[in-house]
Amino acid sequence: MSILWVLPETLETEPLVADLKDSFFVESEPVARSTKTWFDTFDWRLYKNNFYLYADEEAWHLFRGKPDIEAASHPLDDKIRRVFAWDFSTGRFRLLIEPVIEMRSLMPLVTLESSTICLRILNKDDKTVAFVFLAEHVLREIRGVYSSVKLQCVRGYERQFRKMTRFFSQYGITEQTSVQYPFEEGIKAGGRKPLDYSSRFMIRLKPEMSARQAMVLVYRELLEAMLKNESGVIEDIDSEFLHDFRVAIRRTRSGLGQIKNVLPAEITENAKKDFAWLGSITGPTRDLDVYLFYEQNYRARLPERLQEGLDTFFADLRLKRKDKQEKLVAQLKSQQYREIIAGWQGYLNGDAGKESTINADRPIIEPVREIIYRTYRKIMKDGTAITPSSPDDNLHRLRIQCKKLRYILEFFTSLFPENDMKRVIKHLKRLQNNLGDFNDLSVQQEMLRNYLADIKPSSRKNQELSVSLGGLLTNLYHEQHRMRDAFASRFSEFSASKNAILYTTLFYKKVRIKPLQGSMGPK
Amino acid sequence: MSVIAVYNIKGGVGKTATAVNLSYLSAAGGNKTLLCDMDSQGSAGFYFRVRSSRKFNTRKLLKGGKHVDRSIRGTDFLGLDLLPADFSYRNLDIALDDMKKSRQRISRVLKPLQQEYDHIFLDCPPNITLLSENIFYAADYILVPLIPTTLSHLALQQLYRFLDEIQVDRSKVFVFFSMVEKRKKMHWEMMRQLIKKKRFLPAIIPYLADVEKMGLYRQPVNVSSPHSMAAAAYNSLWKEVRNGLKLQ
Repeated sequence: MSILWVLPETLETEPLVADLKDSFFVESEPVARSTKTWFDTFDWRLYKNNFYLYADEEAWHLFRGKPDIEAASHPLDDKIRRVFAWDFSTGRFRLLIEPVIEMRSLMPLVTLESSTICLRILNKDDKTVAFVFLAEHVLREIRGVYSSVKLQCVRGYERQFRKMTRFFSQYGITEQTSVQYPFEEGIKAGGRKPLDYSSRFMIRLKPEMSARQAMVLVYRELLEAMLKNESGVIEDIDSEFLHDFRVAIRRTRSGLGQIKNVLPAEITENAKKDFAWLGSITGPTRDLDVYLFYEQNYRARLPERLQEGLDTFFADLRLKRKDKQEKLVAQLKSQQYREIIAGWQGYLNGDAGKESTINADRPIIEPVREIIYRTYRKIMKDGTAITPSSPDDNLHRLRIQCKKLRYILEFFTSLFPENDMKRVIKHLKRLQNNLGDFNDLSVQQEMLRNYLADIKPSSRKNQELSVSLGGLLTNLYHEQHRMRDAFASRFSEFSASKNAILYTTLFYKKVRIKPLQGSMGPK
Repeated sequence: MSVIAVYNIKGGVGKTATAVNLSYLSAAGGNKTLLCDMDSQGSAGFYFRVRSSRKFNTRKLLKGGKHVDRSIRGTDFLGLDLLPADFSYRNLDIALDDMKKSRQRISRVLKPLQQEYDHIFLDCPPNITLLSENIFYAADYILVPLIPTTLSHLALQQLYRFLDEIQVDRSKVFVFFSMVEKRKKMHWEMMRQLIKKKRFLPAIIPYLADVEKMGLYRQPVNVSSPHSMAAAAYNSLWKEVRNGLKLQ
């Protein structure tokens, strides 16, 4: 049991300590200085899951929830810079953070420097019966200063603890605080706030907004997401900066391609070209990131004897990634990149809205309904036509259709009832997972085949490598077939009449469901 | 999660000093630790300046649960608590004898405490009684400080025979040399013979004034004289015990 109070700003600590020494047997220990640095991922994964993490001179401390309960700790080793979950040794600490932060890097957010004196309250046997920690803190980010006092109970000496509490309340020390107080203050002072970034697309639109207004908001939001992630991509902090950066590019391209005739044709065409270029320069690094994620997975697929070849393979991928990343950084610092971003930003913040096009002034909800419904119908038609003997290409095409639909649904979620949209997206997601896995497996096989084609089988090492990759190819091939077999049932779930009714009621224009007429959808 | 009994049939071999110093090192290493003083003399409590609660006695100990919870005292060191002994513990055997399942009582009392503490140390009284049986039954690890003399070795064999008799696994036992005197040839001779045997830890606690002075400072050696030989000796003993616990 312990209580932590913030000292009133006007309170002088010296008379307080003097009075404490007059009233109790006190033994004071020398001043101890410490520094705490709080960490979280860029997208606040720890905070979102009610965790707080800080490192001091000795260890990493992980807290869960507000009542300052330490959930786990991990010793600090100066020689090793730990930023990813896998940098920590296996144990409770890693077990708790790994599923939360996954592949994201821990970034330092707030640093607190404290000097603390520990006063031991003694009884007549010189036994410590309570601890008082008086501390002065400096929040490094803002040079903000405050003092705190912590009263720590010693088990079995609760009466003394209550007595001390009364002593402090005489001095007006009543404002309780939490260990995480400096974190939240520091974040605020640093101009950020918790949960100010999420990779989810969240924008509130109104149905009566003009299509032009709405799309400009959507594009602005996406551009902002790109800009927020840009420095993380360049510094290569973790893989997800590039991932989110690319998602924003793909979403923009999807918007430009699908929500037609809103921006002037020339603008749209140029932006399409520019964003295609952005997609192409960011692709190679991301592909390698994805392959590198497969390392554990691939090892698990192979018997131990074949795993050695994978070392060579992944070492090689890491080298390739380093090279691609360097090229990517060069591109992101290029004139061309800066011009594209500045041009698009300038357009969205200034000129957009002057020219008229067919859809620009319609209420956004109208074209959106048309597009969603059209895409849904197409997916239904193409999906139904897929049989066990159809070529793989048909599934790939269907996957792309689904992806387009998903982006549009996410852009415009706020225009429709929330719960309905959740269901619509949930069903689509299940289908997409199947198609996505199928596609990933075929992309992986192609990558491995290309890689194998370049290997010269002369050395023993390369032979081992070829054997390992051969084993992998077989294994991936079988799994892909399992995915393919599962497609039919996933698609039938998606095409179930319940889902069809949902699409019709939400997106089919002008249809009002009147049970007496019995008309549910388009003829 | 593990219960470590510090035990020897003979008295004055450094049991309490071992229990006090190792439990301190355990807590200092970040493990929530409880030291239970099972000896009615209450020496462990003396070293930590903890007086037992007036309301606590043998009966309360054997009832367990909240009766024990209320009697646990924090020491001067964060993470280290103590269950002080009561003078009535001198009759613990008699009280146990009157109970059903009399060999498992202590084990039952400790069970809920194992949720709360990473390590529980038992500082045991020097004898072989029903209480000892209880302790052997409850312990994961029986740590025996042994003065390297012929009689001590005989006492150790007696302990092994007793464990076989009550069907407690001998592999719980770990022995280390305690109060070793550098000048005594006989100590070195005994150690030379015994160290090769199973279940002997390589750490040695020499006979040192700093350990004796614990009674004066009433603190663990690693607090009163952290740079002393004695502190170093307990450090290496704790390292070996800790590794042994991990292996179990």
